Amino acid sequence: MAVIGAVALLLSLTLLIPGDPATVLLGPRATPEAVAALNAQMGLDLPLPARLAQFLAHGLQGDLGKDVLSGRSVSHMLVEALPNTALLAFSSIFLAILLGVPLGAISALRPGGVIDQGVAFISVGFVSAPSFVSSIFLLLVFALWLNWFPVLGAGEAGAPLDQLWHVVLPAVALAITWVGYIARLLRSSLLEVLNEPYIRTMRAYGVRETVVTMKYALKPACVPTLAVLGMGVGELLGGAVFAEVIFNRPGLGSLIYGAIEERNYPVVQGGVLVIVILFVLTNLLVELSYAWIDPRVRVQIELRPEPRA
Amino acid sequence: MSFTLSRRQILAGGSVVLGAATMGLIRPTSAFAAHSKIVVRVERDLANLDPANRTGPVDVNVLFACMQGLIGFKPGSSEWQLDAAEEIKQVSDTEIDFKLRSGLTFTGGYGPLSAEDVKFSFERFTKADAAGNKVAFASDWSALDHVEVTGPLEGKIILKSAAPALWLITLPDGSGRIISKKAFEQLGDKISNTVIGSGPYMLKEWKPREQFVLDANPDYKGPITGHFAEVVGKPIKEQKTADIAFKAGEIDFESIQPENMKAFSALPDTTVKALPGIDYVWFGPNIEKKPFTDLRVRQALRLAVDVDAILAGAYADLYPRANALLAPGMLGYWAEAPVYKRNVDGAKKLLADAGLAGGFKTTLTILSDARFQAVAEVIQANLADVGIEVEVNALDAGAYWALGEKDGSKVLELSLIEYNGKFDPSFDTQWFTSAQVGQWNWQRWKSKEFDDLDALGAKTTDVKQRGDIYIKAQKVMDESAAFVWITHNVNTFASKGWLKPGILPNGNNWLYTAFEEA
Repeated sequence: MAVIGAVALLLSLTLLIPGDPATVLLGPRATPEAVAALNAQMGLDLPLPARLAQFLAHGLQGDLGKDVLSGRSVSHMLVEALPNTALLAFSSIFLAILLGVPLGAISALRPGGVIDQGVAFISVGFVSAPSFVSSIFLLLVFALWLNWFPVLGAGEAGAPLDQLWHVVLPAVALAITWVGYIARLLRSSLLEVLNEPYIRTMRAYGVRETVVTMKYALKPACVPTLAVLGMGVGELLGGAVFAEVIFNRPGLGSLIYGAIEERNYPVVQGGVLVIVILFVLTNLLVELSYAWIDPRVRVQIELRPEPRA
Repeated sequence: MSFTLSRRQILAGGSVVLGAATMGLIRPTSAFAAHSKIVVRVERDLANLDPANRTGPVDVNVLFACMQGLIGFKPGSSEWQLDAAEEIKQVSDTEIDFKLRSGLTFTGGYGPLSAEDVKFSFERFTKADAAGNKVAFASDWSALDHVEVTGPLEGKIILKSAAPALWLITLPDGSGRIISKKAFEQLGDKISNTVIGSGPYMLKEWKPREQFVLDANPDYKGPITGHFAEVVGKPIKEQKTADIAFKAGEIDFESIQPENMKAFSALPDTTVKALPGIDYVWFGPNIEKKPFTDLRVRQALRLAVDVDAILAGAYADLYPRANALLAPGMLGYWAEAPVYKRNVDGAKKLLADAGLAGGFKTTLTILSDARFQAVAEVIQANLADVGIEVEVNALDAGAYWALGEKDGSKVLELSLIEYNGKFDPSFDTQWFTSAQVGQWNWQRWKSKEFDDLDALGAKTTDVKQRGDIYIKAQKVMDESAAFVWITHNVNTFASKGWLKPGILPNGNNWLYTAFEEA
């Protein structure tokens, strides 16, 4: 339902956006006949319910239409773009976890201490850094001055090391904001968990503080962070536009961004459909993982009363 | 084991190589020097590779490299040279005879290029398809009646009326590319993303939004050869990214902002080139809307605005001032066009005469872009001095260009506009005719005299006479006071020191075949 709702909303929005797509695409020299033909090709001559029904009916068969400019299959374009975006999204979230979780945990261990204050300062700085600023900064330092990383592209297809080399800077640029978020979020939820009665009991039994924190407190404290990460992965899968544009990476974000500029609606619709599906799937996986991470959630699910017949 | 060659063997080997080269067995492209590949930045990706439905210079530059025309542009010039045609001549105002070179073949196994292919390539511009649709660039061949094939390699282009512009904006340009009839019929829709040509390069790879790669065509037998075995085009939208990539050595050639010319000139191993443009940037009112219906109000606008201040504030004083539609160097350039200086008192007097001494409020519509925003701010400040309060309405490209459709310009008051120029004046004047009101004549300016001059210029073959016609047409525009010309633009490029780029004078079109080692 979420997918259908999002697609319906998108199609409605295309009616409100000023600008005739055919005119934008064909330019000043287009004949009225060519404009009409292109509108028909994009299905813009149909009423909204018919467009939605047509789009979903074709979409269910894997046919998301054709790019109106090049005539290429939208499904094919999305399949080409998705791996680059997925690599970027997961790399940045991985980096964010790698840095954000230890920073948050360290802060929570000594709240108000020098380390906590230092981490707070860094986190707020990271959270407020716009990704296009950090992208340009990283490019200037690591690609231009130090020449350690490339500026353009996603690397050679079929060359994983080259692709990893190309993803480092954009992933760092995107991860920076998330490092701050995760560190702040984990710190507060960890502080909350560390005040739970079962933690006090463990301490009373003389369990070492490191073991209490790392083994028994960290996992449940990660649940709220995980929820945010789920949203983050979903957002990055579709919204890594700045990084993709600045690092010139072909991906879903830059594909949809360019298509919106050109009013290339079949590409916009197909791209948004894929993003909505990915978003829903990611959040479903995240919700399922709560039970795996926090035994209390698992117990709650197991104790749920059976519905009456 | 040692291996030595005697002087006789070297000479014999050399003569074999020389002979083979003479006979065309060794392609010039196989003898590429130190650099065999160039990487150029393009501002947008390829979109449609069908010459009749191309979407802009990025597409057409690839078509220039991969497809032949009867004639093509000379490097760095708006003049033409023979390409697929061995001979071509205008035998009368309405007839052009041509003879193709023998041995030209299409890539992809689509066989030899023949006069039938020329006929098919040109006539498809004049015919609607099965669904009744014409191609996007149909107007380029509006003067074409038909192409008569008189032999396998010979034919006549028969025109409905004289069309001198064909030699500048059609035959050597994108609409003059020769496609394979057989390939077109077999490929159908795929022709928009497949290039079957007979040119010096072939499209080896196109990874959308990543790169396209042109490779030297091993079967090419035409006269215009490329200097590099491979040309890679990287679509990079973000100027800053392109600049960093250039400095980091990932690209060899890019268009840069004129403001950055000094910084790029200071880079090692970098050559910067500036070419005056032939585009036209101007602002003006919708003259169907009050109070702009009054000539005095339009004259007041022209006197109130300081074009030199716009050029200083928004264009860093690097762009040339435009005083009329056609840029210097073009046929019909009006060298004596009046240069209007700011005269606030004069403007106020004109407004007072028009009964608007207290000023009025209006809206200036612009494309959302930092430079146009800066132009708008100067106009806003200038007009405020004479009591005209201007609200700036900045639209994104989609919404802005849609004003050219469905009578969208009806709602406009003032607008700031930039159109790309082409080498023939008829291309530039066509947008200002009465027939274009509701489409690309956003100011809805109508002049019978101008329309007649535009029509006359399009079919006048005498160059001097034609130039005079277009000067007269610009005088008519000037008398209307509907246009405040700002600039013809300037195009600036940076290339690696070893590379000499092949840019045509309009700055937008590049001949990849003319890129060579400096």
